Amino acid sequence: MLTKGDKILIVSIVIFSILSLIYIKNFAFTNEENYISIQVDGEEIKKVIFDKKLIGKTMPIETEFGYNLIEIGDQKVRVIDADCPDKLDVKQGYISKSGEVIVCLPNKLVIEIKGIGDDVDIDYMSR
Amino acid sequence: MNNVKKIIFLSLLVSIGLALSIIETMIPLPFVAPGAKLGLSNIVILITLVVFGFRESITIGILKSITFTLATGSVSSLFYSLTGAILSCIAMYIVYRNLSKVFSLIGVSIFGAVAHNFGQILVASLMMKNIRIFSYLPILLLTSLFTGYFVGLASIYISKNLKNYFDNIFLYKN
Repeated sequence: MLTKGDKILIVSIVIFSILSLIYIKNFAFTNEENYISIQVDGEEIKKVIFDKKLIGKTMPIETEFGYNLIEIGDQKVRVIDADCPDKLDVKQGYISKSGEVIVCLPNKLVIEIKGIGDDVDIDYMSR
Repeated sequence: MNNVKKIIFLSLLVSIGLALSIIETMIPLPFVAPGAKLGLSNIVILITLVVFGFRESITIGILKSITFTLATGSVSSLFYSLTGAILSCIAMYIVYRNLSKVFSLIGVSIFGAVAHNFGQILVASLMMKNIRIFSYLPILLLTSLFTGYFVGLASIYISKNLKNYFDNIFLYKN
């Protein structure tokens, strides 16, 4: 009943599926569960998705309200310099869990870690 | 006369496909991922492709999707099943017409199932605006191998008998 073409087709689909499953599991979409949301004056101005390439990178945030320098670590983020008077945001250190925030009130800056898909309870409904 | 007969046969096939689809929703697939279906109505579409032709089978695919939406009342599934039906029809037609020496009906039906799943994932990624849903495709491809195999097997047995039967009817009356 099965021709030779059928068998080749079946085997190649199986191989393709398994290879792409392995690829998806190992290489794609890692470290993308959380991202850093940088908000100034209530508006999100920047989203940074955690990435191994970004570890140790610093990112200056200059707005009309002031200046902050943030440093991105391995799944964590902190403020290392700021021009606000009390420097509470610098003293707070790293945040790493989804939902944690660093707030710099004088500069109206909020740095929040968000999980992708935090905003909705249901991913999607197809009915 | 012949045309009326054809219309009646096609509408019968649509209703058979609809019935198969509805029965299929009552059969849970215990071992695989959500969204995977047996694709029993694909038997009807494949047989129509073999016995009648491409235009008739794509008509049946579209009509079956619309009537299935009317029967179940889930509108968003219309987009999924329509895209899947049209894509799988086109894929099966191309393979059946050009490569029927290489692939038996099982291979044709596997191509149809793969195209069906691809179309559904495409619609899902467009509707969710999220390309990462494609990571679900390999799992669906693996299940489509099984369902496509059995759909093709059933189609071989059915079309073997039906083709003679239909040919006889249409030739006799002509």
